[in-house]
Amino acid sequence: MHLPAAFTARTSGRGILRWLNAPERRGPLLVAPAILTLLLVNILPLLWSFGLSFFNYRANRMATPRFDGLENYVDLLGDDRVWERFVTTGLIVTGSVGLQLVVGFGLAMLFARKFPLRRVLLMLVLTPMMLSFVSVGIFFKLFYDPTLGLLSWFVAMFTGEPFAIMATPAGAIWAIVIADAWMWSPFVMLLVLAGLVSVPDYLYEAAQVDRASHWRRFKTITFPYVKGLILLALLFRTIETFKTFELVYLITAGGPGTATETIAVYAYRLGFQNFRTSEASAMAYLILFIVIVLTSLYLYLVKQRNSEEV
Amino acid sequence: MKKYLLASVAILAGSAACAEDIVIRMAAPDWGPTRFMQDYANETYTAPSGNNVTLEIDFIPWANFFDRVNASLNSGEQKYQMIVSDSQWLGNFVEAGHFLKLNEYIEADPELQAIMQDVHPALVAGFSTYPHVPAEEIEAAGGYAPDISYYGFPQFPDAYFTYYRNDLFCDEAENAAFEEQYGAPLPCEPADWDDVTWEDWGNYGAFFTRTAGETLAGETLSEDVYGIAYQAGKPLDFSTMQINAFLWQWGGGIWDESNEPEAQVMGVVNSPENIEAFETYLSLLDYAPPIAQTGQMGIFEIQDLYMQGKIAAIIDWAALAAPVVDPATSSVADVTSFAMMPGHMRDGEIDRSANLGGQPFVLTSWNDETVTREALDVVKWWLSEETQIAAVKAGGQSGLQSVMNNPEYDSWSPWNEYFRRSLPWQKDLWHVPEMFEMLTQQQEEFDRAITGQISAEEALNNVAEFQDELLRDAGRLD
Repeated sequence: MHLPAAFTARTSGRGILRWLNAPERRGPLLVAPAILTLLLVNILPLLWSFGLSFFNYRANRMATPRFDGLENYVDLLGDDRVWERFVTTGLIVTGSVGLQLVVGFGLAMLFARKFPLRRVLLMLVLTPMMLSFVSVGIFFKLFYDPTLGLLSWFVAMFTGEPFAIMATPAGAIWAIVIADAWMWSPFVMLLVLAGLVSVPDYLYEAAQVDRASHWRRFKTITFPYVKGLILLALLFRTIETFKTFELVYLITAGGPGTATETIAVYAYRLGFQNFRTSEASAMAYLILFIVIVLTSLYLYLVKQRNSEEV
Repeated sequence: MKKYLLASVAILAGSAACAEDIVIRMAAPDWGPTRFMQDYANETYTAPSGNNVTLEIDFIPWANFFDRVNASLNSGEQKYQMIVSDSQWLGNFVEAGHFLKLNEYIEADPELQAIMQDVHPALVAGFSTYPHVPAEEIEAAGGYAPDISYYGFPQFPDAYFTYYRNDLFCDEAENAAFEEQYGAPLPCEPADWDDVTWEDWGNYGAFFTRTAGETLAGETLSEDVYGIAYQAGKPLDFSTMQINAFLWQWGGGIWDESNEPEAQVMGVVNSPENIEAFETYLSLLDYAPPIAQTGQMGIFEIQDLYMQGKIAAIIDWAALAAPVVDPATSSVADVTSFAMMPGHMRDGEIDRSANLGGQPFVLTSWNDETVTREALDVVKWWLSEETQIAAVKAGGQSGLQSVMNNPEYDSWSPWNEYFRRSLPWQKDLWHVPEMFEMLTQQQEEFDRAITGQISAEEALNNVAEFQDELLRDAGRLD
């Protein structure tokens, strides 16, 4: 029998649809647009900048880029200025993440209990992490201002002198640490709180029957439940604080001198102020390498913990 | 008759059909001088060519102006036909091929030549030439010489001078107390400031710095008041702008780009004159608000504190003067006067050298011939006497000597006289593409000295070493 052409086309179109709709192809097809977008806006630029890091390319020059091999990486790792920025970043990460864990844990312990206005207060405490970096940066810049700021006004009530926290390198690092910890302690609190509320009540009731002390209850019941989440918070916050840019840029601009210039601010200056595009790409990859090392360390710890539990 | 009428209509329709719609898009910082340009263009600009030309300014906040312009130019999007550029960016964007060299157009157009001759030589030098040519050579060339490369025209020229509270400086009791302490009266009238040196400025600073509870001009203070302030900030080029004035006035200087590769860095940037000048600059910060100790005392912070009545006298740009005399924004609007910036006495004469402010506007290199011609017509319109007078009357400044020589010029705003008199003293920072690295490192070192981490000498030695290495690597030093 001879079928009309239109009918053949329709059935072959249906055939393609049926082929595409097969269960084994449906999944890959559904994620394909996301993967394609990821490739275009993330992976491709990543590979492109990785390639650039081996050249001497400068975005503001007409000259054809020259292949320099590992020279940018060697130069950066041998540059005292880079190591100074790593030390500064390390100080800020240690201070800020440490403070976030202490404050976040304390807040979580507080909000794990029931008390009047708990929900309202919880919402207020969560507000800082919902604000934009620019708002927080400008707020703290004004807060620290020695002439108009609240901090100076408060200190002057006791000393009679205006207080310029950002006048010394140590003070300026503290200024960044406090601002970052203020913004992100609620995040740590949220994670720890999720762990705390998941502890079954009967465990505490049994401990009470056994007349276990507060410390013992905390050590043997509470902490094991939240340990994994604290590690997660530690990892997230370490990675994020390691990349700190906005708060530093807005509050101290890296000063006094370069005392608060983090490695991310330095990479920005290399790329967008000094136009050393290839060096800045290499710097970004060094930062990425450190972040990957930190992540691997976390995964290793989690694996260790799981194997211990088994 | 009907036939003639139809023909006329056809000709008119034909000419209308020939008129092109052209948009001149210009990147510009978002502030008064550029807002005025947009509004005035909307009101008054008609292209002489007959085309329908629209000036469309893309207003970008100052804080990320450079980032946006830089990203646009280097990405190759070719979005802008004109750009308001900082003068120091010229070399960078010229060498990257983004800015159009204007010589052939100026050469062929007597009107543009007349404009270049009318623009103040200090502005032609700073805003237009690359490689940089000093103002003296521009003056000798009469504004235009074919062997000099020109790129920009003044969009908004600026200079800094003194803002002071006349209620304090003219107060009789304060005057008597000052005279008793320092043996000279306080400068009350603007003309009295003509002989003021940095030493006097320091005396005013020490004298007017009072704490809450003390008396000032007959009133008991509820808050601290500070004597003086000028730029001492790490962001952008704040410290450098003010420190350069000190270096030049003391007979020192910066690396002379107009004389490369012979001009040297070592021994110039860290010369004894520069060290003494920088030490003087640092010593005067003792009488500034405590924000100076943090290295964050930029032009806006100074302006803000002054408008709140917390400082007796400041040095700031003309561009920031308008809100200071506006009672809606300033608590000292009615008691503010303007005067020349203090200077340094050398060989019996006062030196007022300072760093040029303001911005040129330039044409981009990818415009076709029609757009370039239209953009140049916009330049001619902006730099016409009529437009410039309107701009000055609206609170701006003009770089045209014909406008500044107008007998009424000084009366159009209370600071015009001091801008006009300051202009011949202006010199500019470097314009070479390495400028960004030089400026960033210099700001860091100056900031260390301002915040007391290192001495003036150490800071200048560090700056000199860095610039020497950088400029040698770039082949700009012998």
